[in-house]
Parts: sequence; C-alpha cells; structure tokens
Amino acid sequence: MLGFLRTTPDRRLEELKRLVLFAALSARELQIVQGVLHEREYLPGEVIFDQGEAGNALYIVRTGRVLICRQGHPEQPIAEHEAGSFFGELALLDSGPRAAQARAVETSRVAVLFGSDFLSLLESESHLGNRILLQLARHLGRRLRGTLTGRSEGMP
Amino acid sequence: MTAGGNGHGPGPVAWIGILAATCLLLAALNHILWLVVPALMALVLSYALYPPMQRLMYAGLPRARAAALVTTVFLVVLVAAALVLMAWAGARAEDWQSGVERYLQGGALLLERTLSAAEARWPIIARAHVAESVTTWLNEFSATVVERHVQPLLVSLIAWLPAALLGPFLAFFILRDGRRFHGFIARAVPNAYFERTLALLHDMHGTGRAYFTGLIKLAALDTVALGAGLWVLGLPGAWVLAFLAAILAWVPYIGSIAGCLLVVLVAATDFPNDPAMAYWAVALFLLVRALDDFVFLPATVGRSLNLHPLVSVLMLFVGGAMAGVPGLALVLPILGVATVVGAALSAILTDRRLRARHGHALRLRAAAASADLA
Repeated sequence: MLGFLRTTPDRRLEELKRLVLFAALSARELQIVQGVLHEREYLPGEVIFDQGEAGNALYIVRTGRVLICRQGHPEQPIAEHEAGSFFGELALLDSGPRAAQARAVETSRVAVLFGSDFLSLLESESHLGNRILLQLARHLGRRLRGTLTGRSEGMP
Repeated sequence: MTAGGNGHGPGPVAWIGILAATCLLLAALNHILWLVVPALMALVLSYALYPPMQRLMYAGLPRARAAALVTTVFLVVLVAAALVLMAWAGARAEDWQSGVERYLQGGALLLERTLSAAEARWPIIARAHVAESVTTWLNEFSATVVERHVQPLLVSLIAWLPAALLGPFLAFFILRDGRRFHGFIARAVPNAYFERTLALLHDMHGTGRAYFTGLIKLAALDTVALGAGLWVLGLPGAWVLAFLAAILAWVPYIGSIAGCLLVVLVAATDFPNDPAMAYWAVALFLLVRALDDFVFLPATVGRSLNLHPLVSVLMLFVGGAMAGVPGLALVLPILGVATVVGAALSAILTDRRLRARHGHALRLRAAAASADLA
C-alpha cells in the first residue's frame, strides 16, 4: 500500500548501479553504499571544493552539471560532469590536496562518499569494498592511459 | 588527535573556550549523571561489541541483524551471570556483614603491627602514641562501617540498576543506527563547511573509540599483570581481586588507592600470621601501577587523547573539585572531546575562504528565492 514511499530510494539505487564505480554491486550492496552517502544540493556558481583543499570525499552527480577548473579560472574548464558521473575519486585513496576547483554550473544534486566511510566499508563489508576498489583502479587506469595518449578525462 | 584543521593547534582564545566548555560540562555533570552514566556505558559497550558484530557482518549478516544478535547474546550472558551471582551472594548473605568487618579488622591488625614495629624503632613515633590513636580510630570505624558506609553504598548501587539497564538498550541503537545519526548531523551543516565538519565528526569518533577501547585494553592488561602476580603469591581469589582493582583504576588516584587497599586487606586477613604477604602485595601493586603508568597507559589510552600532562593533572583536580568521583573519572574524556571540537571549530570558523564561500552560497540562495519577486 505504501509502495510509493520506496520510489525515491529505488531510483537512487538504479542511478548508483549505472555508475562505473558501483556497476559490479548487488542490490543489497548498493543499499549499503546508499546508506553511507550524503546528499547535497548546490546552486549555479556555488563552489563544491577549492583547489588545494584537503580532499576527503568523492562526489557523484545525481542531477545537474559540475565544472572542474583551475582556481579562479571557471572560463577555462578542465572537465564537466553530468548526471551519472563522479569526481574527486582520489580522496578515497588519500587526503591529498584537490588538484582543481569544482563548482556547480546549474542546480546540482550530488551524493557524497567520504573516504573514512569508504575505509569503514572496506573493513566491515570487504567484498563490497574490494569491488569498488577494483572499479576505481580500472577507472584510474583508463584515465592514466587517456592522459598518456593525449585524451583527457575528468579531473581531479 | 587531529582536528582536521590547518595543521596548527588551537590558539589561546580557543584553549580558553575548550577549558571553559569542559568546566561547564563538569558543572552540568552532577545534574545529568543519571543519563551520562548509562550513555557512557552504552558507548563503552558498543565499542566492546563492535568487533564481534564486524565479524558477523564479514560473514554476510546485515548490520541491523548483527547488532541485534551481539546485543542479545551479551544480555543473555549478563542475565545468566547476574542470576549465578545472586544465587551465590544470597547463600552467603549472612557472611557479608561479618566478612567486611573481618577484612577491616585484618587490615587494622596489620597497621597496628606495622606502627608498633615503627614505634619500637623510632621513639618519636612512640612518644606521639600513633599506634594507639590509629588503632582506636580504626576499631571505631570498622564497628560502624557496614551500617554507615557499606549499606548506603549498596542501596545507591541498587538505585542505579534501572539506569544501568538502559546501557545495553542504548548500545544496540548506537551499533545499529550510528551511521544514520552521523548522516542526520551532517544534513544540518552548510555546504561550505560540510567536508571539514565531516572530517571533524570522524576525528571525534576516532578519539572516543581509541579512548574507550584503550580503557578496556588497559583493564585487561592490568588484570593479567596483577592477577598473575597475586596468583604466584598464593592469594585466594587472585583474578577476581585483580579484575576489581583494574576496574577501580578507571577513576584516577582514588581508584588506585581503593584497589591497593582491597588487595592489602585480603592479604592481611587471609594471612594474619604472615605480614610479609601484605607487604609483597603492596610491592606487587606498586610494580603493576608503575608498569601501568609507563608501559600500558602510553600504549593504550595515552596515545588516544594526546593531552599535555600538566593540563591533564590540573583538569583532574578541577574535575574532582567540581563533580567528585564521576568528575575525576570523566574529566579526561570530556576534555579530549572538547579539545577536538574546539580545535576543529577554531580551524573552520577562522578559515576566511570557507566563510566567504558560505556567504556566497547564502547570497545565491537569497537571489534564487527572490528571483521572481522583482
């Protein structure tokens, strides 16, 4: 009777499933990942993170568009992320400084996965964590190959 | 302990705020002790139960079921232990009163013999009649101790039972919904401060877990070290005594003294003709305390709080003066959490870039809200 209440979470799980990072996860595992994500909304022009800031989280674009650029140079974008893509993934591996600035181009809803939550997942749900880690390694490998062959992919 | 800030520690203003916040929390402690004690019990219990729960989750059990299972098993064990203890204590109810008096008299006898030996060696002590005065006072004290101190203590412990039962109940929800609560807090934080604040929450959680897990490890190490020593000496109930002394040691200073007295009283009473046993027990206790201070404590609890020793000692006095024994026991964890929060708040609120970003976001939101009003 109250099935309509489940519409939003199910749609979110489908959105997650479409992401390269979570493509190999089962429905139960996707629910676990969904449980540790934080939802945020940014208005056009709002800064999501600055270049040089300590990176603590990965951002997944649910709706809208996000621009990646050098600090103070939004007119020269490095990359642009639309719904279904993600950025800031290196923060899952270390807390090094962000290589570029991220700001919303239009009203954007993003899901945030914190590095510390990801490490907890690796400890408590090691199968799940390892699958994400493998996808992350493949994604970074593709980006490295793209950089070496001159085809750039999303930063940072 | 890190604050997730800019790498610099908190400044003098932040430190005044941290110490003032600690004092305020201590002042409030006496009024909300009924809540603080079960909440802390729940926290310690959740840290203790987390490793088996994690193993169940490794085995594929969902978080909620794993939390329910470990809490239920703990409650079953607790109830079984309580029933056994009550049956055992009930059968010996008549011995309790005489037992307390017997152990106190054993201690008094040891003290009297020690002071008499001291008087025989140093005339100045003999002229002051120290042994006679102390023995008279101790005899009067031991005659009324059960009525005046032990019975009220037992009544107050029974009064705490409902609050103590709240502990496992709260622990279950901490284990099951801890992550959700984390998310709930995060939703209230503006976008500009979001990443930094989440890093702060993570640090606070890490500090709390390290401190309380450290306390549990410390108690286990103390129990093993003191229990092994007392067992070698041949003291009856060596492991129970060692465990009680280790738990008492959670209260700084007073707890250690109480633990030492407990061991000495048992040694003096059970070996009335062998005062050397009591002296060996004291020597062993001091050795374990030294091990505790210089080896166990830095390796467990000390690393988690990373407080300056002078600040720690001063705050222990403040805690004792403001909130008595609970203040002594809780002042360091309260100060530890206040330091993390104060350092992080200071780092976040003094960051001009974050403030500017927050101001910009507020202006964007105001403009979006009033776009069609012009």
